[in-house]
Amino acid sequence: MNTQGINFFNLSLMDALDLAILVEDEAEERYGEFAAQMDQHRTPDAATFFRYMVENEAKHGRELLARRVQRFGDAPRNVTRAMIFDVEAPDYDAARAFMSPRQAMEAALLSEMKAHAFFAAALPGIKDDEVRALFEELRDEELAHQKLVRAELAKLPKDSGLSDDDFVDEPAAQ
Amino acid sequence: MSATGTCDYQAKDYKSDLKPIWCPGCGDYSVVQGIYRALAAIGRPPHEIAFVSGIGCSSRIPGYTTAYGFNSVHGRSLPIAQGIKLANPDLLVLAAGGDGDGFSIGGGHIAHLIRRNMDITYIVMDNQIYGLTKGQLSPTSQKGRVTCTSRYGSLEEPVNPLLYTLAYGAGFVAQASPTDLAGMASIIEEAIRYPGFAFVNIQSPCVTYGEEAQQIKGLKAIQETLASLGHNPADRLAAMDLAQHYGEKLHLGVFYRNPEPPPTYGDLVKERQALLSKDALPKERILDLFIKK
Repeated sequence: MNTQGINFFNLSLMDALDLAILVEDEAEERYGEFAAQMDQHRTPDAATFFRYMVENEAKHGRELLARRVQRFGDAPRNVTRAMIFDVEAPDYDAARAFMSPRQAMEAALLSEMKAHAFFAAALPGIKDDEVRALFEELRDEELAHQKLVRAELAKLPKDSGLSDDDFVDEPAAQ
Repeated sequence: MSATGTCDYQAKDYKSDLKPIWCPGCGDYSVVQGIYRALAAIGRPPHEIAFVSGIGCSSRIPGYTTAYGFNSVHGRSLPIAQGIKLANPDLLVLAAGGDGDGFSIGGGHIAHLIRRNMDITYIVMDNQIYGLTKGQLSPTSQKGRVTCTSRYGSLEEPVNPLLYTLAYGAGFVAQASPTDLAGMASIIEEAIRYPGFAFVNIQSPCVTYGEEAQQIKGLKAIQETLASLGHNPADRLAAMDLAQHYGEKLHLGVFYRNPEPPPTYGDLVKERQALLSKDALPKERILDLFIKK
């Protein structure tokens, strides 16, 4: 996992908080897109799970925003969405038609692992102590999120062992 | 705000109420997001934008924006976009479609828009397959590709969209991918700002009929930004050299931007109209041209 070309060395606490908020915003938006895709394709169970992820990401984003406002008020933001991509948001092709809840949760789990790797990879390049503490906290939170998703996965009935390929027809001449 | 001005538009202002019905995971979802962001950066109000497409999965895209849209006829997005641009030169005109729409049935049109330097941005969502009709060979499918119309593997070399447009002399040629949404949005914005015909090839994976290597993970493995290679976008020959790697490597960024763009066809038409209007008859005497006295 790379750090997306961001120079963490000179990152201020305000910028770090803003980046973290943007990461949550992006994930919230992507899960929202996935939920809409599932609705559109009549896959309500996966849509429900993705909506649950939307709420989680939004909640986390709100918490970070509250800390940012408390510490820095409405000082203009120096970082933009263009600086991050797919940190905690699942890849666009992580959604699939007729996803099972298990597949949806596995996609979310991979994204939490990806986010953990991002924060962990950024840590050695951070100079500021407060920023480092924030990133360590964010990294550890991703572990906690992984636990949550794993717990949801554990509640599901046992996997049938079938894969998508078992349901795919061979190409047929038109 | 006027056509030349800018407003503080947000990406969401270009998003229509229509819900996309692409397969979940389709690369086109990211392309439409990239277009929203690029249009927001440009800042033209939706009613000053015309978005034309042909037929295919990706050609649904104008409907998902708040711009004026026309999901037209297979392969004919470019002639229609050209007509719109000439009839109303103040409109920002975008055309879009898939690789089949653009380089098979519509392939003959590209050369003419390029040689006229029509001020149109053409976005091709290249997935190397006909997805809407359930997975037949398309003009950019790799040789050897097995599909329902090539059960023993394709015998044909693919069309190279980048070399194709560069060879005809397009003033702006770029490539993007859903593996870098911010980069894609910025390339589309740059293409729109280019004064003339701008072509953006977007590697947009088909999750249903596409091959594994063409999915996001596969694309990430072969992607390289042109900027990281130190490519100079003003160097057309270097662009053609890099474009030859289409299908093996995924080069992202601007291959070529003409540093001295020639006048657009619209500019030339305006100039001609101004010249001829000096000796033109007034409207009420126009029939005199056809009636012998």
